[in-house]
Amino acid sequence: MPFAKKLFSAAAILLASTTLSWADELNVFLSPSPSSTAIQSFIPAFEKATGHKVNVTEVPYGEMHQKLMLAVQLKQGQYDVAQFDNSFLTPFGAAGTMMPLDDKIAASKDYDITDFSKGQQDYGKYKGQTLGLTLSTEPFIQWYRKDIYEALGLKPATTWDEYKANAKAVKESGKGDGAIFGFGPNVSWWWMTMVWSFGGKLYDENYNPTVNSPEAVAGTQFLKDMLAYAPEGAISASSDDATIKFLSTDIGAMVQYSGYWGMLSDPANQKHAGKIGTAPMPKGTVDVTHLAGWNIGIPSDAKNPEVAWQFLEFVLGKSNAKNYINAGAAAIGRKSITSDAELVAKYPYLPVLDIPEGTRIERYPQIRVWPEFEKAALDALAGIMNGSVEVKAGLDALQETEKPILAQENAK
Amino acid sequence: MPVPSRGRSKSIETANARLAEMLVMPTWVILIVVFALPILGAFYLSFRNETLGAFVAAKFIGFDNYFQAFADPRFWESIWVTFILIVLALVVQIPLGIGLAVLLHRNLAGTQIFRTVLIIPMLLTPVAVGLMWRFMFDADLGVINWALEQININGPNWLGWRWPAIMAVTIVDSWQSIPFVMLITLAGLAGLPKGPPEAASIDGARASQIFFYITLPSLLPVVLVIAMIRIIDCLKMFDLIFILTGKGGPGTATQTLGMLTYNTGFIFFQISRAAALGVLMIALVAPIYVMWRRATEYAR
Repeated sequence: MPFAKKLFSAAAILLASTTLSWADELNVFLSPSPSSTAIQSFIPAFEKATGHKVNVTEVPYGEMHQKLMLAVQLKQGQYDVAQFDNSFLTPFGAAGTMMPLDDKIAASKDYDITDFSKGQQDYGKYKGQTLGLTLSTEPFIQWYRKDIYEALGLKPATTWDEYKANAKAVKESGKGDGAIFGFGPNVSWWWMTMVWSFGGKLYDENYNPTVNSPEAVAGTQFLKDMLAYAPEGAISASSDDATIKFLSTDIGAMVQYSGYWGMLSDPANQKHAGKIGTAPMPKGTVDVTHLAGWNIGIPSDAKNPEVAWQFLEFVLGKSNAKNYINAGAAAIGRKSITSDAELVAKYPYLPVLDIPEGTRIERYPQIRVWPEFEKAALDALAGIMNGSVEVKAGLDALQETEKPILAQENAK
Repeated sequence: MPVPSRGRSKSIETANARLAEMLVMPTWVILIVVFALPILGAFYLSFRNETLGAFVAAKFIGFDNYFQAFADPRFWESIWVTFILIVLALVVQIPLGIGLAVLLHRNLAGTQIFRTVLIIPMLLTPVAVGLMWRFMFDADLGVINWALEQININGPNWLGWRWPAIMAVTIVDSWQSIPFVMLITLAGLAGLPKGPPEAASIDGARASQIFFYITLPSLLPVVLVIAMIRIIDCLKMFDLIFILTGKGGPGTATQTLGMLTYNTGFIFFQISRAAALGVLMIALVAPIYVMWRRATEYAR
């Protein structure tokens, strides 16, 4: 047999044996994050248990959603499982990027959707259909420095007025800055929370902007007023920057997504380890919780949706939930997790994830034009926060900017 | 040795020309696939209303995307920001780069070490540079304001206000680009004849007179080329701003045309509007390219 023929035969046998050894290949699309790392830690066990080979593609946050959207529009079945941010649920829903999972959830015993509170059961829903399972539950919660609060006889705030009073007390005591939000490139996250919390909305049911309503003005004014108790650099602080400042300098309190708790595991951020307490986000005129976090689902062009669901059930099922959080993932707000004494001892913030039934859960606005709406808000808020524009005048201008953007929402 | 006839010689020339064309063909194919087709695609897209979010069935909409861009204050602001960054870059980087080059050209003690150290910023990736400087500019934790405090200067919130943010971008861009200006100028200085400065020196001209009346005019073609390259670099500046000021912040203070195009296409998913902005950017760059070509020819 000539050498070339031998080589070809050997390659063919090798290829065949490789193909035969895996029942189905599963392509998983993830973004570098603690959740992604945790998911990948279960892949060897899944492959061993099912015989399905799992390939992982990790794409940075900044480009992952665009890449996934383009990939699905090509209909090549490039990915079978995909992680995505909840803020992209609506653009994905409108573009038909993800497959509805309701039948699979209903038929699954191990996933057990009833282990989530009602509000959290809807977290991955777009127009009544579940397009993504909850991959992390990250509400805005109150973080505070127990040592500073105890020294000044303060208690975690239950209202925004108390929150401001606490911040003032800390600042005036000279023990540090009072409180911090991310007033910089992510200020929209806190701004919309304040608008909701003070009883306002970003737009009405006909997609007319309502960003200059008296409630929105009050919420925005409160946000701006809190700058007086924040460190000087807070005005340009991103969400990450704000957390780093809180963890590395003396600041009384911070309202931040619970998912940032993972940053405490970094040795560089352990200056105040053991001194950080958590409490629910303070209330305004309305009892609202701003809920964020990752979703994960099956792209609508997936080649192996059944195996994909098997994988999701294997990793995110109730029976694996404890292993999942112990693998370093941001917590999922299952009741069985938030009430687990052993886990709570290890992760003291877990009970705060159990959002009371009476609390209104607000997610990123479920509109297709959200990215453009948010950018316009960010541009306006930069001027409002640095004082170059008055709150009311800035929001009036924003109202006009948002009108044509929201008008696209009504386009058929 | 037989001499080839005129007819045979011509056929050899024709064959050689054909061979040359064949050899160049793969390059043309690559250029067409990599440059021409995407540009044509962008032109085509810019006359449609394609969005990744699929709001409506895409259709031909003529010049609507262009009219929308012209009516958008963010478009004009981004051009203004781009212009400001270009002007600041030229004003800061060219004099400093030339100054350093003139100093290094004198081969003083330690020149080699200094030259190597100065080139380091140019070798770093803009993303790493942006991240590093972002921490340094932090108003609470950054080393820059700390250093200013040591000399009783209250540093600004660099990334929180419009003009400090523009200055921050200029400082970082200059830190990375001055070595480039310096290197090209050094090459230009090395190529200048030594006679005229020496003659002027013998005639009693001062060093400053020699520089401004002999060296600098002789360097002018090189300076023009440097200026054109820096203008083009500033026009396409993206990664540094993306990291340093968080996609053009605060607000739209450092949002260049490139950044606006990115935001429109990949954040808002408005692919056709972004394509129109891209075409407008080509229209802006084209005259600069022509000027660059002329400057290059002049330099020769």
